[in-house]
Amino acid sequence: MKEVPPYLPLRFFRWFCHPKLRDSIEGDLMEMYEETKATKGKTKADTKFILDVLLLFRPGIIRPAEGHQQLNNYGMLKNYLTISWRSLLKQKMYSFIKIGGFAIGVAACLLIALFIKDELSYDKHYTNHKQLYRALGVITENGDIKKGVAFPAPMASAIKEVFPEILNAGRYNNSELFGAGAQEVRAADAEDNAYDEGFVYFDQSLIDMFQLKFVHGNPQKALSQPGAIVITKRKADKYFPNQDPVGKALVVNNKADKPYTIGGVIEDFKSTSHLQFDFLIGMEGLEFWNGEQKTWGASNYATYFLLEEGTDAKSFEAKVSSEVIEKYFIPGMISGGQSETEVRKFFKDKQAHLELQRVDDIHLFSESVADNLSYGDIRIVWLFGGVALFILLIAAINFINLSTAKSANRAKEVGLRKVVGSLRGNIINQFLSESVMFSVLSFVLGLAIAVVMLQYFNSISGKTIFIPWGEWWFAPSVLGLSIVVGIIAGIYPSFYLSSFKPIQVLKGTLTQGAKSSPLRSTLVIFQFTISIILLIGTMVIQKQMNFILNKKIGFDKEQVLLLQGTGTLGTQVGAFANELREAPQVVEVTTGDYLPVRGSKRNGNGFWNEGRKNTDPAVSSQFWRVDPYYVNTLGLKIVEGRDFNRDIASDSSAIIINQNMAKELGGNMLGKRITNYAGLWTVIGVVEDFHYESLREDIRPVGLALGTEASVLAVKLKAGDMSESIQAITTVWDKFSPHQPIRYSFLDDRYAAMYNDVQRMGKIFTSFSILAIVVACLGLFALSAFMVEQRSKEISVRLVLGASVNSVFQLLTWDFLRLVLISIVIAAPISWYMMSRWLEDYAYRTDIGWDVFVISGITSVLIALITISFQSIKAAVMSPVKGLRSE
Amino acid sequence: MKKYQLGEFEEVVMLTVGVLYGEAYGVSIKKEIESRLKRGVSVGALQTALRRLEDKGYLKSHEGEATEERAGRPKKYFTITAYGKKAMEYTRSTREELWNAIPKVALKVVTGFRLPVADNLQLETGNNE
Repeated sequence: MKEVPPYLPLRFFRWFCHPKLRDSIEGDLMEMYEETKATKGKTKADTKFILDVLLLFRPGIIRPAEGHQQLNNYGMLKNYLTISWRSLLKQKMYSFIKIGGFAIGVAACLLIALFIKDELSYDKHYTNHKQLYRALGVITENGDIKKGVAFPAPMASAIKEVFPEILNAGRYNNSELFGAGAQEVRAADAEDNAYDEGFVYFDQSLIDMFQLKFVHGNPQKALSQPGAIVITKRKADKYFPNQDPVGKALVVNNKADKPYTIGGVIEDFKSTSHLQFDFLIGMEGLEFWNGEQKTWGASNYATYFLLEEGTDAKSFEAKVSSEVIEKYFIPGMISGGQSETEVRKFFKDKQAHLELQRVDDIHLFSESVADNLSYGDIRIVWLFGGVALFILLIAAINFINLSTAKSANRAKEVGLRKVVGSLRGNIINQFLSESVMFSVLSFVLGLAIAVVMLQYFNSISGKTIFIPWGEWWFAPSVLGLSIVVGIIAGIYPSFYLSSFKPIQVLKGTLTQGAKSSPLRSTLVIFQFTISIILLIGTMVIQKQMNFILNKKIGFDKEQVLLLQGTGTLGTQVGAFANELREAPQVVEVTTGDYLPVRGSKRNGNGFWNEGRKNTDPAVSSQFWRVDPYYVNTLGLKIVEGRDFNRDIASDSSAIIINQNMAKELGGNMLGKRITNYAGLWTVIGVVEDFHYESLREDIRPVGLALGTEASVLAVKLKAGDMSESIQAITTVWDKFSPHQPIRYSFLDDRYAAMYNDVQRMGKIFTSFSILAIVVACLGLFALSAFMVEQRSKEISVRLVLGASVNSVFQLLTWDFLRLVLISIVIAAPISWYMMSRWLEDYAYRTDIGWDVFVISGITSVLIALITISFQSIKAAVMSPVKGLRSE
Repeated sequence: MKKYQLGEFEEVVMLTVGVLYGEAYGVSIKKEIESRLKRGVSVGALQTALRRLEDKGYLKSHEGEATEERAGRPKKYFTITAYGKKAMEYTRSTREELWNAIPKVALKVVTGFRLPVADNLQLETGNNE
C-alpha cells in the first residue's frame, strides 16, 4: 500500500487548479512526493508537498472564477455579435426599419411612461398623504352619481369633536361668490393693480395638516390673526421683490381701508399637488354674513380630515356619514323651513351620504366630482398606457416579421453551424443575443428621439416632464428593459431559425419564408387593426370637437369681448358702460358676472310657483342678476313675452326664465308669479335654452332678474377691424382706470377653452395614430420589399410568358391589401364600441356615423397601397432578365 | 521590436526543454534546472511559466504515459515549436548584438583588472542544428 500525501492540501489543489492542468501537475506533485519520501522521510515530504501546493496557488494556475467553460462562451458571444453586426450592415434597409421602428416605439413608450409616473405621483409629497382625507358628499340623481366637495361651515369642527379618530380638520373656500378666485392686487405702497388668480379662504389647521413649507413666517401662527394672508414664494417675489414680506400689507380690489396682513410665505405648490392656490386668506374671525359660520343651510367649504394612523377609512366613513346626517344635516335642513318627512325623503331617495377620499386619490379618481380644481383621469392613464404598449407591440411585430421573413438568408448559416456541432440551444442563444443587440441599439436611438420630442409632448399633454437622467434607477432600468424587450422580441425568431434541419438547408430546398405564413399575416392584421382603431378614434374626436364648436348653443358667442376686473371701478361702472356704448364699434354693453362660459359666477336656488313653497318640491335653478342689456348683448332668443325694459318700473321684480325652467315649473309660465328666497317674481319672458355649461352637461333651469353685480363687462362689437375696436375700448378704459391695465378676452375663445381637454385628447390621438401608422407602414414596406425579392424569379417568368405589368402588380398587391381589409373589418366594431363609450360623457354629442368608418377605411387602404406599390411597381416593370440571369 | 518576448526564467525553461529533448515534463525540467543552475524552482513558478509559454505558442505539449509513482496521472511532455525556436534565436541574437556592441575597453575599466579573457571575447555564432 502506497502512502498518500496529506489529503486536505491535495483537495485544496484539486479545487483551485485549472482543470486543464490538474492531472499533469498532480502527477508531478505525486512523483516528487514519492521521491522526497523515499530519500528524506514522510514528514519532510509532507511539508514540501504542502509548500508546493501553496506556491502553486497563483494566477496562472488557478481556474478562472466563472469556470473555464464560460471562457469559451464569451468567445462565442463575441462571434455572435460580430455576425449580427455584419448582417446588420449587409441589409441596411431592413436593419434601419427594424431599429428605427423599434426606436419610435421605445420613444413613445418612454414618454408615456414618464407621463404616467407623473400622473401617479400627485399629492404623494405631502408627508401625511396616507392619513389625509377629503370629504365627498354623494347623491344619486336619476341614476347618475354626483359628488360634491362643498360642506357647511361648522361640519369640520363638529365632526372633529365627536370622533377621536380625527386628529385634525380643516377647510378651504374657493367660491367666487365669496371673493375667492381672481382679484386685482397690489402691495399697500404700490399704485398699480395687477390681476392675479388663486385666492382662497383657508384654515390655519389645513396648513398644519398638509405641513406646508414656509419660506418666511411662523407656520403655526401664519393665519391665526384676523385679516392675515399667506402667499406663495412666487407671488412674494412679484409684489415684494427682495424683501421679507411678513407683516406687510396687501390691498385687494382697491380696498385700501381693509388690507390683508401677510402672515407668512410658503413654497409654491408643486405641480403635482391638487391644491393650486397662491393667496391663502385666513378664516380667523371671518363671517360672510351673520351666523354664516354656524349655519348648516349653506354648503361652501371643502373639508379635509387628518385621520389617526391605522384607521379603516371605509368603516369609519360609514360611521361618520350616518352620525353627521342624523345629528346635523337633517336638523339643519328642518330649521331651514323644510318638513321632516320631506328632508328624510330627500336623503333616502337620493341615497345621500358622505365619503372620505384619500388626498393621493384625488387627482386620478375624481370623475364626477364637482369642484373648481382640474384633475387627471385614471381612464386617460389606462388609455395612454395601452396605446404605448400597442405601439411598442407594433414595432416588435415588425421585428419578428422581418426576422422570420429574412430567415432564408440566414438558413445556410444556421445549417453550417449545426453541421460543425452547434446545438439548438447555441443557435437560440445566437439569435437572442442578436435581438438584444438590436434592442439596445433601438433603445439608444429611442432615447434620442424622446429627447427631441419631449417639448412637443409636453405641449400636447400639458405637463412639464423631463427625462430623469440623474436618477439612480433610470439608466439601469432602461438597460434592463432593453435587454428584456430584446429577449421577448427575439424568442420567436430564434426558436424558428434554430429549428432548421441542416440537411434540408444545405441542399437548398428550404423555401420557408418565401410564402406568406399565417403567423406573419396575423401579425400584419394585428398591426393594422390597432392603427385603424386609433385612426377612427382620432376622427371621432375631431368630429365631436367640430360639433361642439359649431353647435347652436342658444347665444351668440362671436364678436363679444369680455372686459375683466371692472369691479374696481365701483360706482363708475354705469358711466363707463354708457361711454362705451357711444363708441361707433360697440353694438351693446352689459354688466354682469353671470356669463354662459365656465369660470363665470354660478349659484343655486330653489324656485316655487307662487304659494306652493311648502307643498311642492323646489325647482333647483340658477338665479342670475343681470342688467337690461344682457339678452341683447349675448343674443339670447326670446320665444315668449319680452325683454327687460328700463322704462317699466315694475321690471325690478320681473324675471325672464329659460324654456327648461318653464317646463319644470309646469309650462305656460308667461305672466305667472314665482317665488324664491329673495321674493316674488313675475315671469315676463321665456328665452330659448342656451348652453351655459359644457356640452357634457344638460341645460339646467335659469332665471334672469335685474340687479347689479359686475366685475365683468361684456361688449358686443360690430364685425370689422378688431384691433381698432380694442383700441377704442382701451382709450375709454384708461380714462376711467389709469392704474390698472386693461384685461379682456373673447367669449368664443373662452368657449373653446372649455374644451381644451378634448382638443388635447384629439392632438394626442392624432400623434399616436400617425406614429402607429408610420411604424406599421415601415413594416409593410420592408415585408413587401422582401416578398418581391423572394418572388423575383416567379415574376420574371410571368413577365417573359406575357403577363402584363398590371396583372403582376395586382398579384403582388392583393396579398397585403387583403390583410388590411380584414383589419378594417375587425377594427370597425371595436372602435365603434370604444368611441360610443367615450361619447357617453357628453350630454350633447355627435353621431359616430358610417362616414367615419368609410373615410378611415379608405385612408388606411390608400396608405397601405402606396406603401406596397412602391415595391410592386418596381418589380412589375423590371426587366425579367435581371431575375433570371443567375440561372 | 516586441515580436518575441521571453523573460529570463522563461528562457531558462525553454533552454532546458531543449536540453531534455523529448523527456521534458514537469519534474524533469525542475530537476534539470535545479542541478544545472543551482537554484531552487518551485512547482508553481515552473508550471506558470510553462503555461505561459504554451499560450504564447513557443511550446507545445502532449500527454504521455501514466506511471504508478504518479498515482495514475499522465506526464505532460513539452517540446519546442518552430515559433519557439525562432523566439529563442531572436533572444540570443539580440544578446549577441549587445555583447558585440560593448567596446572591449569598457569591460576592462569596469572590472578594474586585466582580464585576459575579455580581449578575445568571442561568442560562437551560428546555431545550426
